Amino acid sequence: MKAVHYLNQFFAGMGGEDQAETAPTRLEGAVGPGRGLQAELADIEIVATLACGDDYFAEHEAEALEALLEMLAELDPDVLVAGPAFGSGRYGYACARLAAAAAERGIPAVAAMHEDNPGVGEAGAGYVVPTAVNVAGMRDALPRLGALASALASGRELGSAEEEGYLARGFRRNYVAEKTGAERAVELLLAKLAGDTRTEVGGDMDRVEPPPPVSDLSSALVALVTEAGCVPQGNPDHLQSVRAQGWFRYGLGGADTLASGRYESVHGGFDVTLANEDPNRLVPLDTVRGLERAGRVGRVHESLYTTTGNGTPVVVATKFGEEIAGELRDAGVQAVLLSGT
Amino acid sequence: MAWELATFSADLLQEPAVDGASVDIVPPGSPVRVTHVLDAVEPRIRPDGRAAFPTEGRAGEGRTNRLDGVVVLSCLDFPGEERPLHEQESIVDLGGPGAALTPFADMTAVVLTFSPGEGGHVAIDVEARRATLAAAEEVARGTLEAEPQGVERLELGPADERLPAVAALIQLSDLGALYIQYVYGAPAGDAGLPRAVDPAEVLDGAVACGEYHWAAMRNPTWFFQRNELIRTLYREHGKTLRFAGVVLMRGYEQSAVEKQKAAERAAAVAGELGSDGVVITTDAGGNSHTDVMLTCRACEEAGIKTTLVLAEETDPQSTKPILTDWVREADSIVSTGNVEELVEAWTPERVLGGDLLLDGTPAREAGPIPVRNYLGAANQMGQLALSARTE
Repeated sequence: MKAVHYLNQFFAGMGGEDQAETAPTRLEGAVGPGRGLQAELADIEIVATLACGDDYFAEHEAEALEALLEMLAELDPDVLVAGPAFGSGRYGYACARLAAAAAERGIPAVAAMHEDNPGVGEAGAGYVVPTAVNVAGMRDALPRLGALASALASGRELGSAEEEGYLARGFRRNYVAEKTGAERAVELLLAKLAGDTRTEVGGDMDRVEPPPPVSDLSSALVALVTEAGCVPQGNPDHLQSVRAQGWFRYGLGGADTLASGRYESVHGGFDVTLANEDPNRLVPLDTVRGLERAGRVGRVHESLYTTTGNGTPVVVATKFGEEIAGELRDAGVQAVLLSGT
Repeated sequence: MAWELATFSADLLQEPAVDGASVDIVPPGSPVRVTHVLDAVEPRIRPDGRAAFPTEGRAGEGRTNRLDGVVVLSCLDFPGEERPLHEQESIVDLGGPGAALTPFADMTAVVLTFSPGEGGHVAIDVEARRATLAAAEEVARGTLEAEPQGVERLELGPADERLPAVAALIQLSDLGALYIQYVYGAPAGDAGLPRAVDPAEVLDGAVACGEYHWAAMRNPTWFFQRNELIRTLYREHGKTLRFAGVVLMRGYEQSAVEKQKAAERAAAVAGELGSDGVVITTDAGGNSHTDVMLTCRACEEAGIKTTLVLAEETDPQSTKPILTDWVREADSIVSTGNVEELVEAWTPERVLGGDLLLDGTPAREAGPIPVRNYLGAANQMGQLALSARTE
């Protein structure tokens, strides 16, 4: 099997900072740390070393990547290895960007650098093996880098970040555990009862903190927003009943109520029979108009915003929310009555 | 395994709501995709003549025969009439990569494909469920004259008082027609929940499934009959814990007040059992996950430690796990996998249940299918070993 190794100008032996403008260059075989790496690879030959000056990469990233990817395509390796870059930010960045680009093109790729190197967040679907902060960590890094590169080249399914010694890329991936969920749940509970609380789903959940109260509702512009799938009768824009692809804005035209027969819910996640008898119970326009007349809210925004909240991936729902909130902010809306189902 | 197929299908149907049924018997590991699966049931029958899925009396007493290695899969494509809720696609692959997502691929599958008749979706569902459970008893009838290959006794003997007391808090769905689980034939919402039941009742046919929302997050009847959580707690009783019992509660309570009340009452019942800790399970998602979180908080506030069992609904390109609801007390969660991940495409040799998926795609050439559509694949009772991790 074939590996290609990426180094900066310094580790490729082309010179120090004075050569940092070196354009992408292809060298035959293993060079510099590549010789040590070669010894750690199982049935894999480093057929070529690609080198690039750190400044050149930083200043001409698109051109540099294009040239390097062209060389990679020609070499058609089983794995790309980049670095180790240790704590060097520019070098680490280049390693990570190239690894990400290679992985995107289906070439298994692994870079090595210190876990605080800014490149770590740039490796995309490429892997990053952690190293010490400086070159003194070379001897320790190469066997681990070689092991992961060998695993990648072999095409076997990789285990978790912890098992395989790479930095977690952050993707949630399914796998079949050794024990059933029930057995693991009982184990986790017994551990928690013994004072050792652990979890398979991290506590880093996206929590929306409640904003401060609106100081004076009687002068505020208030908008109605819903995920109840509430649309004009007949659903003219074909809002989905499940896994919505978008949201819609409908002018209220000064109406006092969401009349049955003029509005309906197409939500597929609850029984809409009662809701369709009185759509105000999904979007309380009748009540809010009453409050408007009584002077308790300033004014009702002219449009209703609606989508279906049913099986929508959270990233998609977040995007809808940001788009709707952006429009409302631009319209000067100060408060939203968001009805959920 | 002996049963008369002719008698079986003729006797099976009583009401015009189901027009007919075809029966296919599929050997383990066959390259077969089964679509529109409503439920999966283990064939069971009682030698004393009582019902295997009783609607009166009590399950969990006496002797029940089970036919190991056989599963009855009921399939039905509801007519495209207007109805308040829609069933979602539900697939069991007996071969191919999807076979890793089901316990049924290793079994002989008795696939019942019902043709819907008249009377609307509620009547169709009632008859299909009745006929499926009746079929499961018929399939097991041959065991009445056979010698058992093994006998399992479900019994909770005395256990060391110093071991922690652990209960299972099992949430059942009731969100209206087609989204209901049943306790002794009554919808979960009408079954006087939450309440404590003998764990053996759940394993012995007290709970049945008529819930057809996201397939992967459903708990078909088989998952109650062979409930892995309850069986694990029986196994560990006296060794690492004391099995304090099972609390059944309803998920999909319909108002904030009812949700909070149900959570507190469930925690109180777990407390009455003397629980030091509970494993909280659920069914389906969204709304029911809010019930889980409120129940988790109520238990922790009552001094009962909790571990939750939940499926993730995370975009495969996302870098963090996503749950639709979460409370800070939920610090111990088992992941039963991400339902949004795709399962590799597979072309079965044969399709049963219906040739077209609900979205109109030919089931034989459906391409990659999300885990979401595989029956029970990411069930939240911990029945299977699928999980998700950060890579």
